[in-house]
Amino acid sequence: MTELQKIRNFSIIAHIDHGKSTLADRLLEECNAIDQRIRAEQMLDSMELERERGITIKATAVQLSYTADDGETYALNLIDTPGHVDFNYEVSRSLAACEGAILVVDASQGVEAQTLANTYLAIDAGLEVLPVINKIDLPSARPAEVKAEVEDIIGLPAEDAPEISAKNGINIHAVLETIVREVPPPAGDREAPLQALIFDSQYDSYRGVIVYTRIKAGTVRPGMDIKMMATGAVYKVVEVGAMSPNGLIPREALGAGEVGYITASIKTVADTQVGDTITGAENPAAQPLPGYRPVQPMVFSGIYPADGAKYQDLREALEKLKLNDASMSYELESSIALGFGFRCGFLGLLHMEIIQERLEREYNLDLITTAPNVVYRVTKTNGETLMVYTPLDYPDPMEIQLAEEPFAKVSLIAPQEYVGNMMELCQQRRGEFKDMVYLDANRVELHYEMPLNEIIYDFFDALKSRTRGYGSLDYELIGYRPSRLVKLDILLNGEVVDALSFILFADNAYPRARKICEKLKENIPRAQFEIPIQAAIGGKIIARETIKALRKDVLAKCYGGDITRKKKLLEKQKEGKKRMRTFGTVSVPSEAFMAVLKLDED
Amino acid sequence: MPILTKRPNKTPLGIYVHVPFCRSKCQYCDFYSLATKDDKLIDGYLDAVCDHIKEAGELAPGYQVNSVYFGGGTPSFFGGDGLAEILNTIRRNFDVSSDAEITFEANPDSVSDRLLHRLRAEGFNRVSLRIQSDDDEMLKKLGRPHTYAQAVTAYQRIRKAGFRNVSVDLMYGLPGQDLQDWLETLDNVLRLLPEHISCYALKVEEGTPFYELRQMLNLPSDDDQAEMYLSAVEALKSRGYRQYEISNFCRKGLVSKHNMKYWTGGEYLGFGPSASSDFAGKRYTLKRDLQSYIAAIRDGGDIMEEIQEIPMRERAGEYLMLRLRTNVGISAQEYEKTFLLPFAPLEEVMEKHRRYYHATQTDTGRWVLTPKGYLVSNDIITDLLLAQDGSQPLRRI
Repeated sequence: MTELQKIRNFSIIAHIDHGKSTLADRLLEECNAIDQRIRAEQMLDSMELERERGITIKATAVQLSYTADDGETYALNLIDTPGHVDFNYEVSRSLAACEGAILVVDASQGVEAQTLANTYLAIDAGLEVLPVINKIDLPSARPAEVKAEVEDIIGLPAEDAPEISAKNGINIHAVLETIVREVPPPAGDREAPLQALIFDSQYDSYRGVIVYTRIKAGTVRPGMDIKMMATGAVYKVVEVGAMSPNGLIPREALGAGEVGYITASIKTVADTQVGDTITGAENPAAQPLPGYRPVQPMVFSGIYPADGAKYQDLREALEKLKLNDASMSYELESSIALGFGFRCGFLGLLHMEIIQERLEREYNLDLITTAPNVVYRVTKTNGETLMVYTPLDYPDPMEIQLAEEPFAKVSLIAPQEYVGNMMELCQQRRGEFKDMVYLDANRVELHYEMPLNEIIYDFFDALKSRTRGYGSLDYELIGYRPSRLVKLDILLNGEVVDALSFILFADNAYPRARKICEKLKENIPRAQFEIPIQAAIGGKIIARETIKALRKDVLAKCYGGDITRKKKLLEKQKEGKKRMRTFGTVSVPSEAFMAVLKLDED
Repeated sequence: MPILTKRPNKTPLGIYVHVPFCRSKCQYCDFYSLATKDDKLIDGYLDAVCDHIKEAGELAPGYQVNSVYFGGGTPSFFGGDGLAEILNTIRRNFDVSSDAEITFEANPDSVSDRLLHRLRAEGFNRVSLRIQSDDDEMLKKLGRPHTYAQAVTAYQRIRKAGFRNVSVDLMYGLPGQDLQDWLETLDNVLRLLPEHISCYALKVEEGTPFYELRQMLNLPSDDDQAEMYLSAVEALKSRGYRQYEISNFCRKGLVSKHNMKYWTGGEYLGFGPSASSDFAGKRYTLKRDLQSYIAAIRDGGDIMEEIQEIPMRERAGEYLMLRLRTNVGISAQEYEKTFLLPFAPLEEVMEKHRRYYHATQTDTGRWVLTPKGYLVSNDIITDLLLAQDGSQPLRRI
């Protein structure tokens, strides 16, 4: 075990694109931690998707051995946190494993909403926050102003903040020295009953779940019986150790203050919930560590195989993904229109897109995804209260006494010239204005309370486009409020396609219904007969479009030289038909479902 | 039976010769042709095609040629001497039957009496005259190098030269054209009383000048084109023309024997750049470039652009795709016997389309498409291909 004085536990907070992963990379390099030849572009973001999107999806941790200017060698534990608003809880748990945080601020962009939100999370968790000004080599860099901004807005002393370029390796040494000097060493009694915070876990097919943990009190050793305090699961520890950049390194024990891993032949990550406390089965701690919250998916959507026969494949793929992602949920769902599929829960739309993409890429599945929805709370006239996860379960309007939808507290930051645009957007999305704060002469933070439903679809994209990319967003759930909700049904050729139904705010029903009908008309190919598309609320038609019957789809010429080419054309058309789902007599391509999801793009 | 007319028991074969020369390129055309009459190129082409025919002749001893088709390009522009030389080379190297259909394509601007008499004397017995439109403004827009008056004169010359099987080509769905315009064109041209008429919907192909202009062309909508098509079918029927293929109509049973080969799985050999063949189980296309074609023939190099051996299963798909273009249609018995695949799943599809009046059954139980069905035939064929995909081979009896 490393003595407490020689340990520093820290994480890095940064807005997307402000260079968090690049800085992490440089820190590793500076400590000669990574073999240059095997270094991928960004070491910590190991998932392919993460690299493509430039964001961190899962938290990871790594231990660096750094010999400081004072001649001492320190164990620096870098805990990398997710960087998206969908993963706020995970961020808070990672931060709880640290004593300090490096706040990376872009020298030209300055402080952004996401940075602010995470910084406050860190400050609230009692962390020492150390600003670092990055990208100082860019022509547009204005380090002095940005430092003043950090002091004004966040209230952190920034005068001595290292000015660095992670990309070009400038001044990285100063960052490491700041960490050693400014981040307090951890405290904790290594003889006390065990309290180990789970900040992440990962499934490995050989070892079972690898739990990433920060020991807050006591000591854990191989052979010891441990208990997860929230889930109650008991296991015998197989191995403990540290995460080196080049893999897991077993140790004899992990003591208070240390960050490391535990394996114990655990079969599912569901038993190792992020934020839970591990304690000894024999000499348990009196209380778990504070802050645990069972993961709660906020957005639900139906995922179906485009080819109904692939249902088993989808189930297996979801099972495998779930091994590594306790925040996703899935439950069997069956739709009249789409057959068997799953109602899946996600932390947010980004999370949903990631899962969807992984299913399609890693498991080679063609999927139909239904419109995402939040969880509604309905009190029926008989007094029964139910949580509605899918439009399929939405009660008949006659049986509803009270319908409620989840609300969120939203914070938006952008240069002041966009305030009008942002306010307009928030108003359109039923936002209730709370207050507005000038962060500095130029930038404004707006606070709204808004239905979660209005945020999950495309709010972030709309915000970006209305602020020319300068706007940033953070939100937090604040509870349920009564609302006027309706369930909108879509009928094709007179029959309800249940998979296209969704719940929405009554006032939005008409315009949305019209748009959906238009979109479907664009995306459903003409058939041999006329197809009416209707949108209805409780049987009352509120919008209608008609797809005219197919009149002309013919190859006028087909002689010797044309046959090969025309055969390919027909073959392609046939493959397109294969991907369509038939509802009654109407064939709907999976793109039509996607189009309905992206209603507000134009 | 008199001994002299007794046919040897040989497989019928069609020969297609691609003549890649034109006076000018039309705005919509995506066939391979060069707007040139360069002597050196023409001589090079002639030598190459004739050499190619000589080589191929040795490979087809078991075949008898019953159709020869000179397409293009503009064979009439290429000239009578060259066409005659190629035809004679074919006759010397293949067994061409005495009643073979021998066609050449002609444009109204290159039909001289001399050419016609020469070709008639050489045994050409069918002319396909590209009229396209009766509207000089439209012809200009299309980039055609002739007027309608020239087309009528050319037609009369062809008749006078003794051709008794004449086909004319027309186009509809042209820029700015409406139903009335089209029916008038048809009416005017039908007064010429051709034996055969092809009516093609204009298709704006990628790579043509029209493709670049397509947004500005003011083309009739799909619905309007459908109307033009169905009206033409009606008009032609009332004048005694039988529709035997999606775009082809004839009197007196004078179908294009050559073209029917394409639609009924007959074998054919193509010569000249970009020509296609379907021969001995393989389908292939020759290089789509005159210089490389000439060089390859001269040096014994590779002349293929693309070659494919077509497996039986794919032939079964082609059977549906091609036969349903014609009034021959498809039959359960023929299909099951040829491909050892069940017809029942296809029958179901045809029944469905019968309900939309897109398909019908003849007295002998063959399935054929109606004119309305032809118009949406891609949809029907892809339904059939889909049904075929799922079917298991029949056990051999």
